[in-house]
Amino acid sequence: MSKLDYNGPILEIDNLSISFFTRLREIPAVMDFSVSVQPGEAVGLVGESGCGKSTVALGVMQDLGVNGRIVGGSIKFKGRDLNTMSDEELRDIRGNEIAMIYQEPMASLNPAMKIAKQLMEVPMIHEGVSEEEAYQRALEVVTDVKLPDPERILKSYPHQLSGGQQQRIVIAMALMSKPALLILDEPTTALDVTVEAAVVELVKDLGKKYGTSMLFISHNLGLVLETCDRICVMYSGEAVETGSIKDVFDKMQHPYTQALFRSIPLPGADKNSRPLVAIPGNFPLPHERPQGCNFGPRCDYFTDGLCNGGDIPMAAVEGDDRHNTRCLRFKDIDWNAPIAIGEQTEKAKPGKVVLKMDNLKKYYEVAANALFGGTGAKKVVKANETLSFEARESETLAIVGESGCGKSTFAKVLMGLETATDGQILLDGKNIERTPIESRDTKTVADVQMVFQNPFDTLNPSMTVGRQIIRALEIFKYGNSDQDRKDRMLELLDLVKLPRAFADRMPRQLSGGQKQRVGIARAFAGGARIVVADEPVSALDVSVQAAVTDLLMEIQRKEKTTLLFISHDLSIVRYLSDRVMVMYLGHVVELGTTDQVFSPPYHPYTEALLSAVPIADTSIEKQHIVLEGDIPSAMNPPSGCPFQTRCRWKSKVAGGLCERDVPPVRMMADGHQIKCHLDQADLDSMTPVIKIAAE
Amino acid sequence: MEHLSGLEITARILTQLIPVWIALVVTFLVSIKYKRKLGLYGKLFDSNVGMIGFAIVTFWVFTGLFAGGFDWIITHDPLSQVSGMKNKIPGTPLAGASDGDYAYYLLGGDNLARDVFSRVISGSTKVILIAPLATLFAFMVGITLGLPAGYFGGRLDMVLSFAANLVLAFPVILLFYLLVTPEIRITGFPQYMAVVLFAFPIIFATVLINSRYYLVPQKRNVMIGVTWFILFALYFSLINEDGTVISIFNAIDLFDVDGGLLTVFVSVVFVNSPTVFRIVRGLAMDIKTRDYVAAAQTRGEGTWYIMLWEILPNARGPLIVDFCLRIGYTTILLGTLGFFGLGLAPEDPNWGATINEGRKLLSIYPHPALPPSFALLSLVLGLNLLADGLREESLKD
Repeated sequence: MSKLDYNGPILEIDNLSISFFTRLREIPAVMDFSVSVQPGEAVGLVGESGCGKSTVALGVMQDLGVNGRIVGGSIKFKGRDLNTMSDEELRDIRGNEIAMIYQEPMASLNPAMKIAKQLMEVPMIHEGVSEEEAYQRALEVVTDVKLPDPERILKSYPHQLSGGQQQRIVIAMALMSKPALLILDEPTTALDVTVEAAVVELVKDLGKKYGTSMLFISHNLGLVLETCDRICVMYSGEAVETGSIKDVFDKMQHPYTQALFRSIPLPGADKNSRPLVAIPGNFPLPHERPQGCNFGPRCDYFTDGLCNGGDIPMAAVEGDDRHNTRCLRFKDIDWNAPIAIGEQTEKAKPGKVVLKMDNLKKYYEVAANALFGGTGAKKVVKANETLSFEARESETLAIVGESGCGKSTFAKVLMGLETATDGQILLDGKNIERTPIESRDTKTVADVQMVFQNPFDTLNPSMTVGRQIIRALEIFKYGNSDQDRKDRMLELLDLVKLPRAFADRMPRQLSGGQKQRVGIARAFAGGARIVVADEPVSALDVSVQAAVTDLLMEIQRKEKTTLLFISHDLSIVRYLSDRVMVMYLGHVVELGTTDQVFSPPYHPYTEALLSAVPIADTSIEKQHIVLEGDIPSAMNPPSGCPFQTRCRWKSKVAGGLCERDVPPVRMMADGHQIKCHLDQADLDSMTPVIKIAAE
Repeated sequence: MEHLSGLEITARILTQLIPVWIALVVTFLVSIKYKRKLGLYGKLFDSNVGMIGFAIVTFWVFTGLFAGGFDWIITHDPLSQVSGMKNKIPGTPLAGASDGDYAYYLLGGDNLARDVFSRVISGSTKVILIAPLATLFAFMVGITLGLPAGYFGGRLDMVLSFAANLVLAFPVILLFYLLVTPEIRITGFPQYMAVVLFAFPIIFATVLINSRYYLVPQKRNVMIGVTWFILFALYFSLINEDGTVISIFNAIDLFDVDGGLLTVFVSVVFVNSPTVFRIVRGLAMDIKTRDYVAAAQTRGEGTWYIMLWEILPNARGPLIVDFCLRIGYTTILLGTLGFFGLGLAPEDPNWGATINEGRKLLSIYPHPALPPSFALLSLVLGLNLLADGLREESLKD
């Protein structure tokens, strides 16, 4: 089965329309969508959830399920129309000429099959090669995706590998047949930031090496900037702007693209002087799309009669290379006009210390044999190691770290769901580290509340929104009658800017952002003074993130709340926090004000973390630091410094000190502390990771 | 008089069942009209399988109800014997019929000259009463024990799961034989089991109300008072029986339950609850990791509130499906018990016993055994289809 030689574009999608058919109606998911991918080119497909970007990918694979159908347009792969191909021809192309990488690596691998067998299947089925040759190829590809000890990896089952390693295997599998086109559907969303950076780097290198064209689907503009040559921005089933990365990022010609860029925290944005501009309104549901421009109702430049008149075609922007926009007014809009600066606010003065952690330790004992405990050797997992910090009134303290760094354990201990092993937590000077939540008085419980990460999980699906808030009020002993509590509940809905009618709605009738607002209202029901926000916006769409973040900030200013903001997204941390605490494997490796942490000297881990976060700004120059390997398991931490296995500065410290001793906490400047063995001179020699290029 | 032909028999049976048809049509018309407002029940009418299952089940429910409650549908007294009608084939005219009598044995007579049709119809009454009720009790027991086992885990879970496995490992039929043996019944053992098992609904209801309303004591007291009044009256009436070991609260003994029936009921609850326990435990283990449970924990809710108001309502989908399936199993179990002649009076027209009697002469006279077998089969099939439909629809959207 030879592969066609073809010189034109690898993939040409022309006026593609895809609909899903439900019991009630036809739901158009993609309308009039065109894009072409040249050989060796990487095209990014960007948009919010529900905009149809994954549907396009499934359409290319001709895998739309029973309800989906292509209702118009053509998809040409190397000049042949995929829509008219028979199942047999398609089978021949899928996995052979077009390969796809999905978001969840574990779901793409067969858990009952060894890696080697899964990889060897590809060439054995498509090209009928011998087993030995297939094994050799598998070995080669696994070496190419930079996995350590390829032979051992080939012999293992998927569950024996970490998430990052699994995703590398999925990439290896896609590359086994040397496809002409690689479709990546959010390939790194499930991974940690530093692992993500390594995988992205790998994909980029391999694309060059194999000359593969790529269709890269992502919601992250920064990631697309780093990986792609061209970009296509989608909104509500339509492509609204396509063009080269440079053109779209710097000379955008569609209001939605502009609004999107203004709602993400780029360096330079500041919660007080230059707040984010959220896109007003909500994403339209597929069957409630407005007439004319889909973005019309949320657009600043909307003109009645023109924008809602009829279907809007793509128009070419003159002078640029294949730069198109779906806007009727793009020539009238002054794209260089300065941003209308949102409401500016005074920087809140941090008040007195409310919360103080002193050498807090939390260890878990894991018995080797749980059933007949006591006989086996006990293992100690050190989830939190000597945590010390203070948090003041009206202050935002960000806690940054990747999975397994102990930030969730810390939150549990603070909330009283677990008790500390050692050390103290002082709330208003009162020790609470050993008081489990059942023994805390109502005031303490109401004072420390939490906002959760997953909006689809944060509300009880079988209780109305109002009932859930009223329950929180009841438990915090607010008011004397049901009427009091009902009034207060409606006020809380006002506070989080939700219509009062939402009180009678069930959570499933709300969008992700609205649910998160209810979660915030519930947390503030008892007048919380300390709110632990565990990645409150990471699961939300970009345009909604800005609105929810701003809401949190606004309530914080009003209520003088201390906000402990747990996140791995350094862009948002830089935007909203006053102080930052970086954690790695249970240790606080760096703590200081936002400016101190974001500028040198860094802890080597902070440095890598800063470099790993993709930034959607072409004027930013980043130092490239890719960490080798994965985060060690907390069950089996490295000796000495927790970061020594991945640290690029380790060789600068003489005598293997890093492997022997846990570094001491060193005060760098006022309130800035770093846990590292490096010499002062080495620390001083560090250069900023992120530089804004001179204009 | 002539024998009735097959067509005439069918026509006459369909005519006898007219009240059931009317009730069925009304139920369907009303349900389909308002199906968008009826939640999961309404969605059932979007699935063909679910609708067929629901139709069969409601058919038997109405049949049992009308036959047991109003004496409609049945043509003769299911217990009375008419000389000359022994083992007569379907459609035989009634020997020596007087004026008020129905003139035919529609499905023939059995070996004691009783009307097979009336026996099958009146056999449905006990099934549609006992099967759902026993299942409901089994769910109460399973939920009350399964939630803490799944939520707390650890040693409690180990002990309860072990106990559940113990019950499941015991041969069911042997257990029934033991329970209904007169010697054991005299010791009052089944009644003591009833004392324990029937206490669970009271515990369940009390905890359910208290965990939610303990912050508003006035409201709570009223609700618990009313609940207790009703439940305790039922409880004592159920466990109390004159002349047996437990006859202490005769003053509040509202009604008597036949000792045999009580034994059957207790046995069915006893063997069903461990399976329910396992399902609930599994669901609780899954749901307790959700953020809304964590949210409830961080605002200091009691553990019973979390289990009953945060976890249980969100486990309802799989539980409702299992409830339907389990009524089916219970129906089969009741049939088995009747077949072995365990528990109920020997002349009682329950399906299991009727099948057993008919079985003895099956090769010569198949007609007494077939109708009850078909009745049992269709009801269980209907429940399974209903469960399938519910599962399918609850997974959508």
